[in-house]
Amino acid sequence: MQTREAQTENPSRERILERIRAGLRTVVPQPAPLASDRVIFEPVANPLERFQQECVSNLMECALTADTAASARQLSEVLQSLPAGEIFVQDDPSLRRLIELAAPARAIRWSSEGAPSEASQATITLAEALIAQTGSILVTASCGGRGASVIAPCHIVYANTAQLVPDLAAALGRASEERILDRNSFACVISGSSRTADIEKILVQGAHGPRRLVVILENGS
Amino acid sequence: MHREIIRRGMDSYDVAHLKGRARIKDWEAARQKCQEIRREAVNHLDRYLLQFEEKVVARGGHVFWAANSEEACTYVKSLATRLGVRTVVKSKSMVTEEIHLSPVLEKAGIKVWETDLGEFIVQLREEPPYHIVTPAMHLNRGQIAQLFREKLDPAIATDDPRDLMAVARRKLREAFFAAEMGISGANFLVADTGVIAISTNEGNGRLCTSVPRIHVVVTGIEKVIPRLEDLAVLWPVLATSGTGQGITTYGTLIGGPRRPGEADGPEEFHVVLVDNGRSQLLGDSEQREVLHCIRCGACLNICPVFRHIGGHTYGTTYPGPIGSVLTPHLDGIARFKHLSYASSLCGACTSVCPVKIDLAHHLLQNRRNATEAGATKSSERMMFRAWRSVMLHPRIYALGGWSARTALRIVYGLGLAGSIVDPMRVWNRYRSPVPLPSESFRARWRKDLDAN
Repeated sequence: MQTREAQTENPSRERILERIRAGLRTVVPQPAPLASDRVIFEPVANPLERFQQECVSNLMECALTADTAASARQLSEVLQSLPAGEIFVQDDPSLRRLIELAAPARAIRWSSEGAPSEASQATITLAEALIAQTGSILVTASCGGRGASVIAPCHIVYANTAQLVPDLAAALGRASEERILDRNSFACVISGSSRTADIEKILVQGAHGPRRLVVILENGS
Repeated sequence: MHREIIRRGMDSYDVAHLKGRARIKDWEAARQKCQEIRREAVNHLDRYLLQFEEKVVARGGHVFWAANSEEACTYVKSLATRLGVRTVVKSKSMVTEEIHLSPVLEKAGIKVWETDLGEFIVQLREEPPYHIVTPAMHLNRGQIAQLFREKLDPAIATDDPRDLMAVARRKLREAFFAAEMGISGANFLVADTGVIAISTNEGNGRLCTSVPRIHVVVTGIEKVIPRLEDLAVLWPVLATSGTGQGITTYGTLIGGPRRPGEADGPEEFHVVLVDNGRSQLLGDSEQREVLHCIRCGACLNICPVFRHIGGHTYGTTYPGPIGSVLTPHLDGIARFKHLSYASSLCGACTSVCPVKIDLAHHLLQNRRNATEAGATKSSERMMFRAWRSVMLHPRIYALGGWSARTALRIVYGLGLAGSIVDPMRVWNRYRSPVPLPSESFRARWRKDLDAN
């Protein structure tokens, strides 16, 4: 209580809470709850297959690789298709190894050196989890920070099939259980590249964030 | 042309919305689940808000409770002034529209950039948003290209939406990296985790909350939900109802300022919880559920009235059925009661609402409340009082009928049907007069009863 008052002066806080409590004293009839046997989403039978399908409908690229060497080759290919310029990489041993193998002829800025520069051509990060149901990747501030997944025109995610979870409920349940938001100020479920349909409802891929979202998905045990 | 643009926009929404709904196995169960989540949150609003606040404050964030627009605007303005803010980037937030935050900041000499493409377009036109999800849906690409030529770059030679987006992207990138403060809304406040949840497609919301050194969230007190797992159904349902997508591109969760060791992120994190009449609605036993609204825009899209008159005609921050229900509560029944009459009560809004708000009946209740609150004109009240007393007195009613018939018989007899003295002029001006019955209904009724 004391820290709060030291943080922010809140002259109306008590008054609003009192109004809320007064309002809640009014009794409102409550309908019966949802029957527990109703299934809202079709359960995901094959997470890998579903993830790949959803990537297609989310307009993301997903490349399945057999091992680290294949992932490095895949990474080189993607980087070669991009204009010249710096890339930003999450500072993590597995990504250091991947970069060493791929050996891109580009300047590299590691996340330990700060935020990505606006001129970055691509960012390479890990993910916390992959969500099959919606073809999403879950990233947190640990994955190179907040800007890592949105500043550059291309975001490359290096992930492993062992990170697949069947659905959003499982992903959020785990995030809750592992208290990842106590360890990170930020998390994001990303489902495709940035887009808009604000002009005549026509889909434009690549709005303020990346035009391309590439998942290099290594087959793990 | 305007109507044609709206019709085309709505048609493409309809197709996407139905396709999106088909992706969910049991849509009705999903709606009911969302309704339950929102009901639980709203029914324990004090508890969940305090839980949310405690978590945010523990992480070094600030929570400010604003009783009304003025308190909210003053807080954000003094924060900006105190921290030397000269440029603000905003991602879409209907609550900031509701409290009219941007004009307050601009008056203090702060440059405000709307960064959602649709919001950016209407800001350049100095207009309010036309729709709560797609703010510029009333404009076609030609009009937007023309606007960009006038306001941004006379050399723009194309009206391809991709190129127009690229122009906006370049312009707004400068703003993102110059701004000291990012202002966002929140789709949800997650109580158990103490994070805000924002759904965006363009990534502007991501940049607003990542790049500037201060992040301010302006949102309504009703946006809270109990658990992080609730998003597993709310996110897909919001996306489906809002745009027909299976899920929105970025589902962002933010719980505080940048932590030590994180590569980037704002140093300050402030959440402004706006009441502005919402707590009043909690005590309304019929309409508390209006606070369950997740602002998806589905009721606007389905509404035959919205489709014909468009978003600006309402003259309110929130247009469409939800706006007609909510605005009288936020801004006064006397000024906004007419909105509840601008409805055919067809019930389409109730049928699509993803949290099952019974909008059509709330419109009806607003009409009743307006009358009971004496918000009607005195002439209207007098006429209805007279009508009531006539209906309660059969003899007076009969006398009225007899005098009307007699008067009309005289008027018609003189050949004055359709003339200025004819009380039935509106009808008779262009048509032959309706033949007058020889006797009253009451007389015929009595005769028939006697005959049998």
